[in-house]
Formats: sequence, structure tokens, C-alpha cells
Amino acid sequence: MWSDAELGTLLERARDGDRESLRELVRALNPVLWRVARGQGLGTEDAADVVQTSWLELLRRLHEIRTPRAVTAWLITTTRREAWHRQQRARRDVPDGGIAVEAAVDTEPAPDERLMTDERDRVLWRHFQVLSQRCRDLLRVVAQVDRPDYTVIAEAFGMPHGSIGPTRSRCLAKLRAALLADPVWGAS
Amino acid sequence: MTDPLDDLDRDILHRIARYDPPPPDLDERVLFALALTGLEDEVARLAESAAPAARAGERARTITFDATSRTVMITVLERPDGLVRLDGWLAPVAALTVELRLPSPAPARTVTADESGRFVLDGVPHGLAQLVIHGTPRVVTPSLLL
Repeated sequence: MWSDAELGTLLERARDGDRESLRELVRALNPVLWRVARGQGLGTEDAADVVQTSWLELLRRLHEIRTPRAVTAWLITTTRREAWHRQQRARRDVPDGGIAVEAAVDTEPAPDERLMTDERDRVLWRHFQVLSQRCRDLLRVVAQVDRPDYTVIAEAFGMPHGSIGPTRSRCLAKLRAALLADPVWGAS
Repeated sequence: MTDPLDDLDRDILHRIARYDPPPPDLDERVLFALALTGLEDEVARLAESAAPAARAGERARTITFDATSRTVMITVLERPDGLVRLDGWLAPVAALTVELRLPSPAPARTVTADESGRFVLDGVPHGLAQLVIHGTPRVVTPSLLL
């Protein structure tokens, strides 16, 4: 897990123009920003674009945002706001609501069929879908990063920092129990 | 604290990781766009991206970027030889230098918009690119995937 101190060091170095530190920072924060943008119902291209725009805006503000916590909070808030605006505009642009309907469905994007390689993937997806939104968000993010940063996750999903570890354990335990009780999971 | 993960937990998370991962090139796109962007730059936002329009056997799409000071519209035309042609237009109209940044080692392409704010960048390879409009302030777009 990234500590505030480690993020702070990366930030200081990135501010001084160290490309490798900037790369580390982007790598550490992008999975969460991606989740935030997708959570607003954006398609993949728009979500990728919104994440980029937030970083570009950050660069302009870097001199006035001092602490690592402020940087992550700022990035997350900006990504959410940009995504929201983008989404509003998409709805406005399509009077018959075509995109809006599609986008609403898209908030819980289904995995690519081609990646659902075995029966267990399909069983897991079925049980994953009925978890709470909070569980799904959290598990998607911790599945994506090796060292999830709890401060960043707390900021992104509006959860108290101290509740993330226990919530993660509870969500995972719930999913495990559902899978182990499912005869298809056991049989495959 | 968090319970240690066992094999089943790891298997579950491994499968979930494939549900909706960020695009594999997202980090690269962000870093490419950040490379040149400076504190004084104005960031243009993707305003509109129109679906490919058929035009006598060619494919074209139109992309609009909005910044506070300026709007940049480009039409990306696929050439038969696998390269692309960009037809651009600046509003408000200005004869400014327009730079198309490409990933290194490819050199940036530079043109000057004419009196009506139009510019053409032809024979551009597919891949990442970023437009920089050298006005006051300088306007940069996010990375484009041509």
C-alpha cells in the first residue's frame, strides 16, 4: 500500500520533473480514476479522455496543491466532475435518449464475453452483480492494483479510511460464501 | 487489519480484474499528454466526436476540442496508404502556429493556420498525437488516438 509519505516523495520528484516518479504516480492512481469515471456511466473512450484531462488540469495546479492527500483528492474530485459534465452533455445531445439509456446500463459494465473463459467466470459474475455497489467498486479496484492505497480509495468512494480493510474482507467473504454454496462453482 | 488472502481469494480477484480494466495504454496516453504540458497552458476538452462518415470510399471523423480561449475542430481522414490527413479549423479565427506532437523519436509536425483559421497536416501516421496551438495562452489537447 502506498503511504502518504511515499506518494509525497513521488509528488515532490514529479514536480521537479522526474519522469519515472510521474510514471509511478500515474500508474498508482489511474485504476481508481478509471473506476470513478466509469462509475459515472461513461463509455471507455470518454472515461479515458476524462482521466487524461484531469491529469492535464492537475499539472496546471501542481504548484498550489501541496500535500499528497490534497493531490489525490483533487484528482478524484476533478475526474468525477468532468465525467459528470461529459455525461450530462451526452444526454442533452441525444434528444431521443438513446445514449442515455445505453449509458445507464453501462454503469455496471459487463465483462467482455471473450474473457469469460470458463464456467467459473460466469458463476462469479452472477454472484458479483448482486453485491452492493460499494462492494463491487471496492473489489474492482483492489483487484486492479497490487498495492491499493486506502486513502485514495476512501476519497474516491466516500468511505471512512478505517472501514476499507474490514469492508473489503466482508465483501470478499460474502462472495466466497456464495461461490462455495453454488454447485456450478464446485463442479467446474 | 485485512485478513491475508488465500488461493481462492486470489483466484476471485484475478477474475474480477478482467471485468473492466483501464485500457492498457491509458498510462501511456496520460504521460504522453503530460510530457509537454506546462503550467501556463490551457487544456482543451474533447467536446464532440462524430462517428465515421463515409465519403467516397474514405473514412473520416470529426473531433472538436473546447478550451476557454479557443475551439479546435479537426477532421481525420483515412488515406488509402494507411496514413491520415488532418483538416483543422481554429475559432476564433487566427493565423497561429499549430503543432502536432508525436511520440518520440518522431519529430513534431508544425503548420501555420491561414487567415481563415484553417490548417492541414497530411501524411500523419496512426497512433498517439497531441495538438498544441501556439497562441496566448497556449492551448493543448489531450492525447488523441489517430
